[in-house]
Amino acid sequence: MSNVTCIELIAFLDAYVDDELDPETRADFDRHLLVCPSCRAYLATYRETIELARGAAEREEELAQDAPPELIEAVKKVRR
Amino acid sequence: MLADDGHLIARLRTGDDVAFEELVEHHAAPLLAVTRRILRDEEEARDAVQETFVAAFRGIGDFQSESRVSTWLHRIAVNCALMKLRLRERRREQDVDALLPHFDPDGHQDHSSVSWRETAEDILQREQACALVRQCIDQLPEPYRVVLVLRDIEQLPADVVAEKLQITRDNLKVKLHRARQALRTLLDPHMRGAM
Repeated sequence: MSNVTCIELIAFLDAYVDDELDPETRADFDRHLLVCPSCRAYLATYRETIELARGAAEREEELAQDAPPELIEAVKKVRR
Repeated sequence: MLADDGHLIARLRTGDDVAFEELVEHHAAPLLAVTRRILRDEEEARDAVQETFVAAFRGIGDFQSESRVSTWLHRIAVNCALMKLRLRERRREQDVDALLPHFDPDGHQDHSSVSWRETAEDILQREQACALVRQCIDQLPEPYRVVLVLRDIEQLPADVVAEKLQITRDNLKVKLHRARQALRTLLDPHMRGAM
């Protein structure tokens, strides 16, 4: 039987995701996740949020065009 | 340090103008992406890139040979962008509570969460979806957006970010967790249905 509620699990979800909980607390969280589909979904979408933020930025850099020519020129002028 | 980096640094230290131009042409675009993410203002982002190269050139003697040039420039660019953020008039810290989950008196979520239809990997294949993620990040209240950008996107260590933002590690941890939850809330309606 899990004694953990949704509010407790979500308050410490970052510690759960980053594996910073002591084994006993982690086991309590795991028991709650087994019986709570809403928290399972929250955990999955929280992880996906981190992945999306990082992935979207990486894609942005992949697709980034060259720096604007006027910026390149301005930087070079500072040096001259 | 990469072999190419070593050669480039050696040339920069001799005041080689061509080497400086190569440095600028190779690194300006990724650095501009970093400063744009932090500042969300095109003019300020470009200024920060200029200042990055000026600082890099002046500090070329401090470059540690075990570093990569890209990592060294990235660190300088983050610092330049954060300096600009501090110079802006301090905005009132907007309340992020509306974007955090809410609970019943018995501690359960007041609205059930549901899984998203696609994995993050699949979503990221579509440029339109990536743009939407970036728009949602831009909607975060500034202190939370900056923490999320520095920790989850730029992946700077917690100690470094706490020091740069002049907050405690505990405060940083709380802000990052709230930022992720707020971003999740903003993404949720879009990700529940197939985009």
